[in-house]
Amino acid sequence: MFKIDRRLINNFDWVTLTVTMLIALIGILTIYSATRPLEAEGHSSFFLKQGVWLILGLITLFFIVSFDYIWLSRFAMVFYVLGILLLMAVFLTGRVGMGAQRWLSIGPLSFQPSELFKLIYVIMLSHYLSLVKPPLDTLALFRTFFTIVFLPFILLIKQPDLGTGIIVIALFISLLFARGLQRKVAVLFIIIGLISLPFLGNIFWHGLKDYQKSRLVAFIEPEIDPTGIGYHLNQSKITVGSGKFFGKGYMQGTQGPFRFLPEKHTDFIFAVFAEEWGFFGSLILLLLYLILIVRGLDTVRKAKDDFGRLLALGITAMFFIYFFVNVGMTLGLMPVVGIPLPFMSYGGTALLSNMIAIGILINIRTRRFELFH
Amino acid sequence: MTKKRAVILNTAIIFSFILVSLRLVDLMIFNHNRLAERAKQQHNKVEDVQARRGVIFDRNGRELALNLDLESLYGDPEMLDLKEGNIKKLALLINKEPKIIRTKVPESGRFFWIERKLEPETAEKIKGLEIEGLGFLTEAKRVYPKGVLASHVLGFVGIDNQALEGIELKFDKDLKTNGGKVVVGRDASGKILSSGVETETNGNSLVLTIDEGLQGILENELDKATIQWRAASATAIMMDPFTGEVLAIGNRPTYDPNKGTAASDSEKRNRAITDCYEPGSTFKIIIGVAALEEKIARAGTLFDVSKGSINAGGKNIGDVHKYGVLTFSEVIQKSSNVGSIMIGMKLGKERIYKYAKLMGIGEKTGIDLPGEISGWIYPPERWSGTSIGAIPIGQEVAVTPLQILRAYAAIANGGYLVKPHVVSEVLSPSGEVIASFRNPDSHRILSARTAETFRDILATVTEEGGTGQNASVDGNPVAGKTGTAQMINPVTKRYSKEKYVSSFVGFVPADNPRIAMIVVVYEPKGQIYGGVVAAPVFREIANQALSYMDIPRDDNAQRAHFVVAR
Repeated sequence: MFKIDRRLINNFDWVTLTVTMLIALIGILTIYSATRPLEAEGHSSFFLKQGVWLILGLITLFFIVSFDYIWLSRFAMVFYVLGILLLMAVFLTGRVGMGAQRWLSIGPLSFQPSELFKLIYVIMLSHYLSLVKPPLDTLALFRTFFTIVFLPFILLIKQPDLGTGIIVIALFISLLFARGLQRKVAVLFIIIGLISLPFLGNIFWHGLKDYQKSRLVAFIEPEIDPTGIGYHLNQSKITVGSGKFFGKGYMQGTQGPFRFLPEKHTDFIFAVFAEEWGFFGSLILLLLYLILIVRGLDTVRKAKDDFGRLLALGITAMFFIYFFVNVGMTLGLMPVVGIPLPFMSYGGTALLSNMIAIGILINIRTRRFELFH
Repeated sequence: MTKKRAVILNTAIIFSFILVSLRLVDLMIFNHNRLAERAKQQHNKVEDVQARRGVIFDRNGRELALNLDLESLYGDPEMLDLKEGNIKKLALLINKEPKIIRTKVPESGRFFWIERKLEPETAEKIKGLEIEGLGFLTEAKRVYPKGVLASHVLGFVGIDNQALEGIELKFDKDLKTNGGKVVVGRDASGKILSSGVETETNGNSLVLTIDEGLQGILENELDKATIQWRAASATAIMMDPFTGEVLAIGNRPTYDPNKGTAASDSEKRNRAITDCYEPGSTFKIIIGVAALEEKIARAGTLFDVSKGSINAGGKNIGDVHKYGVLTFSEVIQKSSNVGSIMIGMKLGKERIYKYAKLMGIGEKTGIDLPGEISGWIYPPERWSGTSIGAIPIGQEVAVTPLQILRAYAAIANGGYLVKPHVVSEVLSPSGEVIASFRNPDSHRILSARTAETFRDILATVTEEGGTGQNASVDGNPVAGKTGTAQMINPVTKRYSKEKYVSSFVGFVPADNPRIAMIVVVYEPKGQIYGGVVAAPVFREIANQALSYMDIPRDDNAQRAHFVVAR
């Protein structure tokens, strides 16, 4: 299991690891700047904690790479049940933060099960779909949806963690797309989707919490109430827009530390970065994410089996969706949905599970020539 | 995954990245100016420059008004959790109804005062509550360390340090100097961040002519007199007769300027300059000096007042006691109404009016305190038939205590009308003298000879046979004059039978005056005469003041002289 042969080292995906570490380090620097105090009081320890989690994540990453990812397929069901139990545990003992119940405390640690769950979910879905002969028929589609997708979706929406809930659905669609549906099923899927949209929309709207509704309204009409519901969006745009070509310079940004921009070191960290590093800095950051995603798609192509292919695609899709939704929200291209920017945003659980995901990606690429055991 | 789907996927991803990049161009380049401007607007705030008011010193550099840094509590409605528990705890600490705190929360905005200028212990306790959305700003609170002392001179300021009374009001510009507005950085909660711009300026300081020690003596005796005579009110002013420097000025009732906004109008009135009264006999110096200046009389000129009364315009005016033939000096010494009216009649109304005006009657003295009134004396054409029997003895005129004091100071200083003032210097924050009001203009109104003659006459008032013997001081001769006047009942417009104003005005030592002082007691109970009510107050104050000022006793000086001679 722990055999580390030459081929493993030769084939190791240094590109993915390097790009990931670059983004994560940029993240820590930006967190440091975003949370810097205005007066002589001590600097908050966010950046330090994030650093500790990164080291922890790196160790876990190497641990994940050291054995064949096929084990993930074998334990997928166990992980999944554990993951669901964790989500349920959040309801019973969870810590409330920012109007939502997302945290679980174990001793001094508190972590967000939904962050870990999204990865378990991708593994489970990949495992399940890899066992189904493509293209999928109607029965397989519904069976997959109700055995794997439905329960966690409801649990997440109820937390409420709308962001992760939507991602669960988006990942489902991505993986279906990758696995392939029968043409008629695909058409039916789209037609049902289009017809039910108004109804779903209605149920969806009424199921939303007030702050979620107002975010949607704010997205459509941000100037309605610049100090109220449009506040996040306006502040985020102001912060990004202040950057210009080369930015204000590191540690020179004002909107975050001056507390105009909310969630500066978590969901809106991209804005803080953009303000300090400007348009060119932001382009470089985008490029790093692009490399990560393109490399992920390449891994999809090169994976040796269906499970590996689906898993690589699921993880890549996950990173892409997170990236696009987060940056889209920051730039006012999308409604404010509270999901973090992978590797950048402050948050231990997210960083750790993202590092595990990268470990899995590297694992799949590294073992692309190996035969089944 | 088929090739087609891979292409779709790749295209979608590339398209997304292009979309994000274009949006970045849109926000960061095309809309940069607009958004950057909004950022600036957000964290720039125009702030009033807080001016720390200058310190007010007495003439010896003792602080009468200074500033204390206290913390003020404000709330940020967006951050503040207004649950009942928080509000109750807060209300308990600042001693207010929870309801009152709630009503202060504004509908919009991110700042409202909850309680200004808290005691340090209270501020600490509130910090201990750790309620989010509360903040503190340091504000300078005006403090008057001596409490009621000199309150009518100092005045006071409101919660925003706005000047409301006294010197604080009159010299507000100096004390504040140039406050103004600056642009400072602020964070989202409105907290001011270090901006490199000075947001505070120091006002200029004032040095008063007031002497804290003399002020204390004067107020202390005023207190005693007010209690002893159950007087409605009382006023005393002590002045350097040569320079017009007011050494002490006190009124009863009074107030604590630290709680100035809670004081009643009556307590806040600086009666020495804002109230007028009929002076009565103290006014007789007007006809006295007029007679000497006009050479109608000399000290020894005789007046036959043996009738005990005199008819003026059909009205009989009498003396308290019956006298025989009095010299001019004795008319003043014994305060004979009949004699005074006889002198007045000799002068005629034109000259009486002229000298009254010359001595500053019916004119503001120009003292540097707010609220001074002029009083009044009718011009001759408006005099009635009986006026010639009233005005020489101090009726039908209205004066302020300060006016009368100034007239007496002119006799004390050899004939000059001085300008009373309480501020001697304006000091910059670094202590340089910016403006000096020392030795203001004074002009001669009486000949030195008249002043000297009259000074000697006034000195006899406190001697054997005078009305003001109670004012005589141990060791030094006092020159002065008693006054007793009926008050006019504001309802009936007639002289009241119960309400009197007792006064004594004079200076000491008579031959080399160092202080001129007036004591006015309004509505004393039991006794009404100036010589009984006001003169002892004069004596008590003068006795203490002279030893406080180290003014040698005349008798001691003579004794010392003998010692040397031997």
